[in-house]
Amino acid sequence: MTPLPELRMTGARPFPPRVSAFTRPFWDALEAGTMRSTRCEDCALIGFPPRNLCRGCWSRRLAWTDLARGGVLYSFTRVHVAPAAFRADAPYAIGLVDLDDGVRLMCRMMGAVEPADIGSRVAMLVLRYDDGALFGARMTHSSPTS
Amino acid sequence: MNRRAAILGWGAVPVGTWQKSVTGDAVLEHELAVEVVLDAMTMAGLGRASIDGVAVAHPGDHTKQGYFHTFLTAHLGIRANATVVQVLGNGMTGGHAFDTAVHQVASGQADCMLAVGVHFETAVPTARHLDYSIRLTGDVDFQSVFGAVPIAWYAMDAQRYLHEHRVPRAVLASVAVKNREHARLNPLAQYRTPITLDEVLAARPIVEPLGLLEVPGRADGAVALVVVSEDVARASGRPYVLVRGRGFEHEGLHQLSDRAGTDALDYGTLRLASRRALESAGLALADMSAFQLYAPCTIVEVLATEALGLFPRGEGAAAAADGRTRADGTYPVNTCGGCLSRGHPPEVAPLYDVVEAVLQASGRAGPRQAARGPFTMTVCELGKYNAALVHVLEAVS
Repeated sequence: MTPLPELRMTGARPFPPRVSAFTRPFWDALEAGTMRSTRCEDCALIGFPPRNLCRGCWSRRLAWTDLARGGVLYSFTRVHVAPAAFRADAPYAIGLVDLDDGVRLMCRMMGAVEPADIGSRVAMLVLRYDDGALFGARMTHSSPTS
Repeated sequence: MNRRAAILGWGAVPVGTWQKSVTGDAVLEHELAVEVVLDAMTMAGLGRASIDGVAVAHPGDHTKQGYFHTFLTAHLGIRANATVVQVLGNGMTGGHAFDTAVHQVASGQADCMLAVGVHFETAVPTARHLDYSIRLTGDVDFQSVFGAVPIAWYAMDAQRYLHEHRVPRAVLASVAVKNREHARLNPLAQYRTPITLDEVLAARPIVEPLGLLEVPGRADGAVALVVVSEDVARASGRPYVLVRGRGFEHEGLHQLSDRAGTDALDYGTLRLASRRALESAGLALADMSAFQLYAPCTIVEVLATEALGLFPRGEGAAAAADGRTRADGTYPVNTCGGCLSRGHPPEVAPLYDVVEAVLQASGRAGPRQAARGPFTMTVCELGKYNAALVHVLEAVS
């Protein structure tokens, strides 16, 4: 599959995630340009973040699956008063994205995003920092630069 | 088992700045706790030997003293035979302290419990405080990594609400003006200077679409409640307030459902918990004379009033703007000024809410007194109303 579009970010991730033996496939795949999560082989629920237990049916039979590359914006906010770790980024936007495969997630919104964009299409992105990747999204009608 | 519990006394300092010292000398949590505990015990007319247990609201990350509950119990010189416990539950922390005290009494373990909490945070700069608080309201590896501060979640509810129901921002913002009007009449409130809608709308943005006056300020506070059995309350000869009903619900989510299409504006836990509380009290929503709702932002108060069923979905903001949640309105909400103006010391805010619910139920709320009857409701939450804890109170004189 074509890798997700990538945006080059400045510096290191402000609040880097921990990587466990279980979540490593997610972060490794993201490095390679793909968003993945766990899908329950018993009830077919795709959860996000990836989980080592299906929260729908408590099955342990979970398999990695690629997530949809886009969806719609459910809501967003722009944070003006930021934690010290994120001071250099403020103001920055975060949003709730409903992916086409039925997953809702929170992520950084890059590029222009306005209240009128709620309900409109977004495309997922890989945000490339000096120390690793995070995921983000942008409105498909906006420029991907922040 | 299952005796009724009553609130017989309370003590509280005005919400505001206590930790950030103005004299240069430190103000210490347990020293301030002494003041509110003695006030509460004096009101109850009870002595130290009456106390069977102490339920303490976990004081949060900015209190230096660890194991604050045993430290405080020792500082007060209390010997306890029921329990000494420190409880924690996000914004519900103070509510858990109250709830624990009620359960100790209702189960027969205790005849008299202290529920007490001190929350300090004002000496810690906001940006540093937020470094800590982003760890509380999101998955630290998959959500906090984006800098999602606690009120950002409510802000996204606000943005969605304005979009979905086509509500002008000024209508939502009117909740802040109403709460300030209530706080003006509350000596325990942090912000008492009246504000206009224009000022709310012009305030600098904090988490869009919410500005400075639509989100809670930083605050310290201290509260103590004396919770006793109905027998002890009756024998005191003093006015008291019975705990008539209780309901709880947790939806099994932490902030966010990962299912696309989920209605994030439906605070369903509150709908269920409030029904349970009313059923256990044998009362109806219409019996309540005032509602104390844990609402750190304008939008939260609106969504909570809709979840309770006071107003239809999408009409809560307009109802507030029409004055229907004022102390003299159809459903008085947050007559103390709420988290926005009474103030929001997170771990003890629900204890302040119990105080206001007691004052309203017993007709002692002075100029902000709601008109009707002895029953009031107090509500606290955790997460983004991922859980709701509801108590129904009844004044007895």
